[in-house]
Amino acid sequence: MKISVSATAVTTPRKVRAVSIWLVAKWIAAFLVALIAILPIWWMINVVFSVPGEPVSINPRLYPTSLGDGWAKISMVLTETEYFRAYLISLLYALLTITGVLIFGSMAAFEFALFEFPGKRTFFAIVMLSLMVPTAVTIIPTYLLTAQLGWLNTMQGLVVPGLSSAFGLFLLVQFMRSIPRDMIEAARLDGAGHFQIYWHVVIPLSKNALITLAILTFIQTWGNYMWPLIISSDPQMYTVGQVVGLFNSPLSHHTVDIVMTANLLAAIPPLVFFLIFQRKIVEGVAMSGTKG
Amino acid sequence: MTSTKVRRTILGGISAVAVVALTAPSSAQSLDYWVYSDFGQGEAGALQEEFIAEFISEHPDVTIQMSGRGDDDLTAGQIAGAASGTLPDVFMNGLAMGSTLVDVGALANLYDKWMAMPEEYRAQFDPAAVERCMASETELYCLPYTGYGTLLFRNLDVLEASGVDTSTPPATWAEWLEQMQAVSDAGYFAIPDQTLIFNSVAEMYGMVGDNSTWGIDWDTRTTRIDPDVMAQVLEMFVDLSEINSGTSRNDQSTRDLFISGQLAFHTIGPWANPTYEQAAEAGNLNYDFVLMPGIEEGKHGGIQNYEFIGVAPGENEDIAWEFAAYVAGENQMARWASLLSRYNSNAAAMADPEVASLPLIERSVESVKYAMDVQPPYFVEAVPNCHNAIVVDYSAATADGEFSPREGAEEMIAELNDCLAD
Amino acid sequence: MRRHLPHYLMIAPFLILFGAFFLYPILSGLVYSFFEWNAVSLGDFVGFANYFEIWDSRDFGRAASNLLVYISLTVPLGITTAFLLALLVDSFTGRWANFFRSAYFLPVALPAFLAATIWRWIYAPNLGLLNMVLGWFGIPSVNFLNDTSTMIYALIAVDIWVSAGFNMVIILAGLKNIPKELYEAARLDGASKLQQTLFVTIPMLGPVLFFVLTYGVISAMQVFDTPWLLTGSSFISYGGRRNALLFPVMDMMGRAFGSVSFGQAAAYGFMLTIVIVLITLVMFAIRSRLSRQ
Repeated sequence: MKISVSATAVTTPRKVRAVSIWLVAKWIAAFLVALIAILPIWWMINVVFSVPGEPVSINPRLYPTSLGDGWAKISMVLTETEYFRAYLISLLYALLTITGVLIFGSMAAFEFALFEFPGKRTFFAIVMLSLMVPTAVTIIPTYLLTAQLGWLNTMQGLVVPGLSSAFGLFLLVQFMRSIPRDMIEAARLDGAGHFQIYWHVVIPLSKNALITLAILTFIQTWGNYMWPLIISSDPQMYTVGQVVGLFNSPLSHHTVDIVMTANLLAAIPPLVFFLIFQRKIVEGVAMSGTKG
Repeated sequence: MTSTKVRRTILGGISAVAVVALTAPSSAQSLDYWVYSDFGQGEAGALQEEFIAEFISEHPDVTIQMSGRGDDDLTAGQIAGAASGTLPDVFMNGLAMGSTLVDVGALANLYDKWMAMPEEYRAQFDPAAVERCMASETELYCLPYTGYGTLLFRNLDVLEASGVDTSTPPATWAEWLEQMQAVSDAGYFAIPDQTLIFNSVAEMYGMVGDNSTWGIDWDTRTTRIDPDVMAQVLEMFVDLSEINSGTSRNDQSTRDLFISGQLAFHTIGPWANPTYEQAAEAGNLNYDFVLMPGIEEGKHGGIQNYEFIGVAPGENEDIAWEFAAYVAGENQMARWASLLSRYNSNAAAMADPEVASLPLIERSVESVKYAMDVQPPYFVEAVPNCHNAIVVDYSAATADGEFSPREGAEEMIAELNDCLAD
Repeated sequence: MRRHLPHYLMIAPFLILFGAFFLYPILSGLVYSFFEWNAVSLGDFVGFANYFEIWDSRDFGRAASNLLVYISLTVPLGITTAFLLALLVDSFTGRWANFFRSAYFLPVALPAFLAATIWRWIYAPNLGLLNMVLGWFGIPSVNFLNDTSTMIYALIAVDIWVSAGFNMVIILAGLKNIPKELYEAARLDGASKLQQTLFVTIPMLGPVLFFVLTYGVISAMQVFDTPWLLTGSSFISYGGRRNALLFPVMDMMGRAFGSVSFGQAAAYGFMLTIVIVLITLVMFAIRSRLSRQ
C-alpha cells in the first residue's frame, strides 16, 4: 500500500522516506528487467569470445575473455560457409518483400479504407479471415504451386508468395481510415485523378504506417526459416537462416561455441538495424496496436 | 486419378496462366548431390569436392553441385522435391528414412545397374549391408555409404577420480553399473539420460537383446520386442534414473559435460570424436573409446546404422548412379576413412591395412560386429511416427517410476501393436 | 461498373496474389484433407477418415491438452507482464524511458529461430547460464528442458521474453492516449494510484488490450518454432521428453514430413483453423457485448 500513499503525498515531508523506497524499488525493477532482456544476448556474445571448451566453473562467460578466439570462430564460420552470400540473399529477399508488400498492400488498403464499392466488405472479410490460418497449413500447397511455376531456387519463388500480407493490409487500412475524407475531396476538386490521389495525397500521409510495416516485414522475413528451407535447395540461394540451420542440426559435430557464432552472425544485421532505428521501430510498433 | 490432374483442375483460373508460361528448366548433365551438413564442410567437404573433381575429369560434360544440409532439412527437402518433381539426383539419408523415400518415389530401383557392375566392385561391400538396401530379391534402392557402430566414450579423469580402475573396460552390465554408481557417489554424472532418444534406448536394448527381438514384423504388423528383454532394459533405466546427466545422447550440452570433466560415459557414434580429440589436444580431456558391455560377458550393446547414397529416378539416373557408385567405391571410401577416421560401409576399404589400423575404425569395425540394427527391417514400409514415440515414452515413464519395468514393457508392446495395426 | 473500375484495378494485384498464394493453397488443402495423400501421388478418397484418425491418435490428445494448459498460462502471464512493464516504463521520462523501452524491446528484433537456440543453452543443466545463477544461491541444477514438471514453464518464459517487449510498446502507446484529465478527476475523487490503474487505466486501454489478447491467443494456438527448437525436435521425433512440449502444429508437421501423411496434416491444419476462427469469433462477440453494457 506504500504505492498509494507515496503517490498522493509527494509534497508532505514526512512521506519522503516512502517515496524514496518506492523510487529505489522502481529503478531496481527497471534495471533487473533490462538485464533479463539483454543478458541472454550478451551471454551469447561472451560464449563466442571465449576459449572453446573452458568449463563454466572456471569461465562463466559473464564478459568476453578471448577476442582472438572469437575472431577465429567468426572467420571459421565465414570461410567454411557462404555466409556473405547468404547475407546478400537474405537482404535481397527482405528488400524485395518489403517493396512488394508496401506497394500492393498500400494500393489495396487505399481502396478498402477510403472508398465504397460492391464486394468490398466480402473481400476484406476473406482477407482478414486469413490472419487466423496457421502458415503451416498452406505451406505444402503453396510450395507445390511455386514448384509448378518453375520458381524453385529462384528469388521470385522466395518473395512472391509472401507479398499478399493480410497483416500488412490490416495495418494500413486501420491507419488510412483516419485520413480525413475532406483532403481527398479537395484533391479531387483540384482535378487529381484516382491514382494521383493515392500517390500524391494518401501515400505521403501514410508514411509512418508504411515505415512500421517495412520494419515488421524486415524482422519477419529475416527470421523466416521454413519457407526458404523448402523453396531453395541450391546452396547458392541459401538464406542466413538456412546457413545457421547447418550448424543447429542436432547431430552436427560443432560445439556450442561455433553454433553460437553462426547464430550471432545471423543476429547482427537485425541488431544493428534496431540500434540505428530503435526510435522509429518502437514508435511504429506502438502505432500498429493502437490504431488496430 | 493422378495428383497432377487433380491439382490442375483445382488450380483454376487464377494461376493457370502463369503455370503455362513457366516450366522448370532441366539440363541433362548437371547433377545435384545432397549430403549431410558435416559432409559438406571443412576437410570432409574438401575431400568430397575432390571426388567430384575426379569424377568430372572422367566425364567432362557433367557438372555436379554439392549441397550440405542438416538432418531434418535433408529429409524435408527430398520429400518436397519428390512432391514437385525436382528431386536431387544423388543424395544421402539414413536407412530408417528409406521406405518413406521409396513411397514418395524419391529412390530409383538400382538393382539392374548394381548387377551390371563388375563382380570385384560388388565384392567390396558386405553382403549384409547391401541387403539392408533391398526391398525384395530384385529391388535395390541404395548403396551403403558411411555408417557407424556405437562406441562407449570414457572420460578417464572422471573415472580415476571416482576410484574406478580404467585399465579394462567394463565387461558386463553389472560391472558397468557398479562403476557408474562409483562415479555418481564421487559427485559426477555417470551417463546421459538414455531414455530421451530412440537410438539410445535401442543401444541399451542391444545390451540384452538382438535383431531377432527388435524391430517390426510387417507380416503380422506387430512389434518384435520381447517383453522379458524389454523389462530388463527398463530395469536398467530405473537403475540409471538417479545418476544420469538429464541430457540426451545427442545434446551438445552432453558433449560439453564430457569435455568439462563432469560426465564419465557417453554412448554415441564416432562423430563425437573430433570434438573430444580437439579437447584432448588442448589438454582438457583424457578419454578413450571402447565397446559397450552387454548383459553378460562376450555380448555387447549398441546399435549400428548407416547412411546410404541413393539416386532419384529420371533422365539423369544413369550418370547419377555412376557418380554414386564412384564415391561409394573402395578407393574413395578408403581415403575418406583415413582422412576422417570414420567408419563406412565399404568392407574392402575397411580392410585396407592402413585404414584398419586407425584406432577409431578398428573399434568401430568391432562394434558393428555385435551391434543391433536401429530399426530392422528396412525398405519394407515406412515406420509410423507413433512407433518410436511409444518406445521412448514408456522408457521415460518407467524410469520416472510410473510403471514397474514389467508393466512398462507390457504396456509398451500393447501400444506398439496398436500403433502398427492401423 | 465503370465507375468502380479504378477501385478494382487498385485492389487487383493484391487480390490476385492473395488468391493464388493463399486462397488456392488453403482450398486445395481442404480437398487433400479428404484423400490419402503423400504429397506425390493422390491416393483414395477417404472421406473424413483423416480427421477421425487424428482425433483417435494418442498424440492429438496430448497436443490438445498441452495447448490448453499453455494458452491458459502464457496469454494472461504475457499480457500481465507487458502491462506491468508498460506501467514501469511509463513512470520514467526522457532518456531513461527511452532506454528501458528499447532494452525491453530488443528481443523482438532478433530472428525468430535465435531466441530458442540461445535459451536452449541458458537452460542447459549444470552448465547453462540459468543454472549457474541458481547455483550462486545454492539451488541445485534444474533440468528445465527435460523435466516434465518444468518444461512448459521453460517454454512460457522464453515466449514472454520474446513477446513482452512487443506488447509492452503497444500498451505503452495506449497509455499515452489516455487523457490526463481522467486521472485528475479520479484523484479529486480520492482514488488511490492502484484504484486509478484499475478503474481508469484498464478500462481506457480496453481496445488495445483486446488487440493484444486476440493476437496473443491466435499466435499461441499456432505455437511451433520455439518448442520445436527447445526440445531439439526432428520430423521423426518431436515434442520433448514424454511429449510434454508437443503442440498441434508440431504434430501436424511431423505427420507431414515424418510420416509423409500430408492428407492427415491437411486435415489437422483445417481443424486447427476452424478452432482458431471460432475462438476469435467468440472473443469478438464477448467484446461487443461488454462494450454495449
